[in-house]
Amino acid sequence: MITLSNVSKTYSTGAVAMDDISLSIDKGEFVFIVGPSGAGKSTLMKMLLLEESPDKGDLIVNGHDLRELPKKKIPYLRRSMGVIFQDYRLLPDKTVYENVAFAMRIVEASRREMKQNIEKVLGLVGLKHKAKSFPAQLSGGEQQRVAIARAIVNNPVIVIADEPTGNLDPENSWEIMNIFEEINKSGTTIVMATHDKTIVDRMRRRVIALEKGKIIRDEAKGGYGDED
Amino acid sequence: MKIRTSLYLMKEAFVSLKRNALMSFASISTVAVSLLVLGAFGILGLNMGYMVSALESKVEVTAYMQDSVEGDALTQAEADIRAVSGVSEVTFVTKTEALSRFRERLGDQASMLEALDDQNPLPNAFEIKVDNPELVKPTAQAIEQMAGVETVKYGSEIVDQLFQMTKILRILGLVLLGFLVFATLFIISNTIRLTVFARRKEIGIMKYVGATNAFIRLPFLMEGMILGSVGGGVAAVALYYAYSALLYEVHQVLAFLYLVPLHPFIYIIGGALVGIGMLIGAIGSAISLSRYMDV
Ligand SMILES: Nc1ncnc2c1ncn2[C@@H]1O[C@H](COP(=O)(O)OP(=O)(O)O)[C@@H](O)[C@H]1O
Ligand SMILES: [Mg+2]
Repeated sequence: MITLSNVSKTYSTGAVAMDDISLSIDKGEFVFIVGPSGAGKSTLMKMLLLEESPDKGDLIVNGHDLRELPKKKIPYLRRSMGVIFQDYRLLPDKTVYENVAFAMRIVEASRREMKQNIEKVLGLVGLKHKAKSFPAQLSGGEQQRVAIARAIVNNPVIVIADEPTGNLDPENSWEIMNIFEEINKSGTTIVMATHDKTIVDRMRRRVIALEKGKIIRDEAKGGYGDED
Repeated sequence: MKIRTSLYLMKEAFVSLKRNALMSFASISTVAVSLLVLGAFGILGLNMGYMVSALESKVEVTAYMQDSVEGDALTQAEADIRAVSGVSEVTFVTKTEALSRFRERLGDQASMLEALDDQNPLPNAFEIKVDNPELVKPTAQAIEQMAGVETVKYGSEIVDQLFQMTKILRILGLVLLGFLVFATLFIISNTIRLTVFARRKEIGIMKYVGATNAFIRLPFLMEGMILGSVGGGVAAVALYYAYSALLYEVHQVLAFLYLVPLHPFIYIIGGALVGIGMLIGAIGSAISLSRYMDV
């Protein structure tokens, strides 16, 4: 599903974000990427989203070798991924429904398909009754659930989340994690960068720990560790 | 792209225009003023062209012959005049004909001619038509050089002056056109730059959910085209009223002036302005998109 082979990335500022990273993630896995701030977690996420490209090494996402992928094809590959950020990134002047619909308009889904999928994902994140609300009328946790609904409405094979619980209290964080578990159960691969020790320790999933752009640990049912 | 998607993007463009109402208003006004000036120049130029061609048919060169030229020499002179390039038609008017025409023109006052005592002071003449009004002057000059020709007169120097003016107008118009197109391009691309900036968050999200470049750019392109064509439309309406008022006034005071009639002329001008506005709008936003939107 995702393979990185000896990938390095240095920003033009000289910051080394990834240093000879090799890893492989299979379909249906749930993977935490942990590490202190500046370790390179977000850079790795951006690379999976094809927003940054490696200086060195090979990157294969969803069966596509980035090296052989024409730039024009990138949007189509992104449609097989859903993405969630710490700051939700909702459009403030669109309703919850329209925010989710936004992702489907881009793939030019039919009206019927749109209605069906949106109802399904809003049901999954428990926000059916808030479809007509605007983001400013929602709590942080609710906004993040809208963002998740938008990320999964096109049935992606991979969900990439960069510190999705970073701005949330523990209660809302658990609610979000439950939704991720639910999504993962249906076979969707989840790669999630996080700072949240409690979550990682309790979930017992695969943990890849980064530090200064290097992988320092890769465990199948791991905990957060003591690095932080 | 599906029609429904295009409609959605069009709606988005209008929403964005409304959100930046002040900036939209400013750029529509600029486009309108620019195109108004452009349209006014166009109308002026086309009217001068129209006047020239209306006068064209009335322009004649008349060559008055010396009285000493008679018989075969006149026939020869006619042949020589015909041979001058640009000459399309030559009519010989004898002294006698000229006098009777003169008498007719005098009408009631024809008795004045009795003072002439049966003398005919009018010369033989050739009335010459020329292919192209621009050739009037050189043709007249060439004929003046010919043996036996006393003087040459041509219809009016107005044609000449009109020609000079149209030439100046054309150059001035081109300079102005360049300047105004530049100004409108500038304001439109600036407006679009601001809307791109205002919507950068939306653009980012669109990229993440897999929107293609074309899809992301289209609403902005539409926005520019709407700004441009609305500006053009405003200019067209203003010109419609201004030109019909002008025609009315001219008709009252200077009925002899040949102006292009209102219909369908003004619709063509108006359509052209809307089209130019739309084109400039599209180019303006394309410039902005290529510079400020990295997709
Ligand atoms: N766009 C960028 N330009 C320059 N340096 C960057 C950029 N993004 C991240 N970095 C640097 O790369 C390193 C890794 O950053 P990042 O991937 O954001 O880490 P994390 O998400 O784990 O905090 C840091 O040193 C950071 O300063
Ligand atoms: Mg980060």
